[in-house]
Amino acid sequence: RRFGTPNFVTTALGSATIIVLPHPLNKKINVTYLCVATVRPKDAVTHNQLAAFGEYVAEMLPKYVQQVQVTCYNELEVMIHPDGVIPVLTFLRDHSNAQFRNMIDLTAVDIPTRQNRFEIVYNLLSLRYNSRIRLKTYTDELTPVDSSVSVHNAANWYEREVWDMYGVFFANHPDLRRILTDYGFEGHPFRKDFPLSGFVEVRYDDEVKRVVAEPVELSQEFRKFDLNSPWEVFPAHREAKAPELPAGDKPADK
Amino acid sequence: MAGVLKKTTGLVGLAVSHNPHERLRILYSKILASLQIIPQDAAYRKYTEQLVHDRFDLIKAEPDVEKLEKKINCGQIEEVIHQAECELALSRKMAEWKPWEPLIEEPPVNQWKWPV
Repeated sequence: RRFGTPNFVTTALGSATIIVLPHPLNKKINVTYLCVATVRPKDAVTHNQLAAFGEYVAEMLPKYVQQVQVTCYNELEVMIHPDGVIPVLTFLRDHSNAQFRNMIDLTAVDIPTRQNRFEIVYNLLSLRYNSRIRLKTYTDELTPVDSSVSVHNAANWYEREVWDMYGVFFANHPDLRRILTDYGFEGHPFRKDFPLSGFVEVRYDDEVKRVVAEPVELSQEFRKFDLNSPWEVFPAHREAKAPELPAGDKPADK
Repeated sequence: MAGVLKKTTGLVGLAVSHNPHERLRILYSKILASLQIIPQDAAYRKYTEQLVHDRFDLIKAEPDVEKLEKKINCGQIEEVIHQAECELALSRKMAEWKPWEPLIEEPPVNQWKWPV
């Protein structure tokens, strides 16, 4: 263990940086521990570089880009209109200043309260510039999204997974079929309205000598724990809502 | 051609180019030609023309392949050729898609609001 360099330790009380100091008097190694809270240092340089590149992309493709943001973890996110999936992905892959030739991930997020409940997320990596970017679009249950298989071959199975788990249809996909669920499975499991235990359970039936699917029977009824804390959770995202005061009585005109 | 031609790029599927200057010259002129179709004020045309002109000038100035690779600073010359080919294909598709037009449709209210 080198003295003076911080050790990152996760204890029962949470993570802390432990700095080990040598005892000045004793020749024997006698250490004092100093606990400092672990806070990620802000990297303004990377943040500004990513913000500049985000602005560049938004300037090049104003027809499709709706919003650009850099998260606090220095991750660039570009939000586009669903019609622009193929143009923006092709631009990011082929343009010399971008060269995001690797598709890392293609997923969906289900937020049922929104009008377009599914948010399709593409993660791309540029090996040339050692940089990552996240592309987001939206769709609802019935509107198809253009398949990105023509741009990145890696999208093939990812789009099949999104179709299987969420029910988002990808137009012009070469082979869109289920990939993870069972052969006759009905429903889209990752949707928020699909229950944790599912609707059917399977068992081997000796009479018919095969596996049968029957409606699920839970031995214990499902317990939903309300995990909301009584304390305010996101102080940085407060929305100041002024209460609507009812108008007072107008004085009688004389 | 000054210097010994290198035996391999070290990358699978990317063959060594015998006359990279010539190839790059052709590609960059084709890119500039296909950018003429795009309106002058489009950001894509501005920035791509700037990029292509810079690289073109470097190619005209430097006859030695290794020094040229270092000046461009974007990997081997064969990779630079591949980038130029991609840019050419992209510029032709951009002429079809016309991404410099204003936004197609604003997102619905609260679409990108997080936390919900």
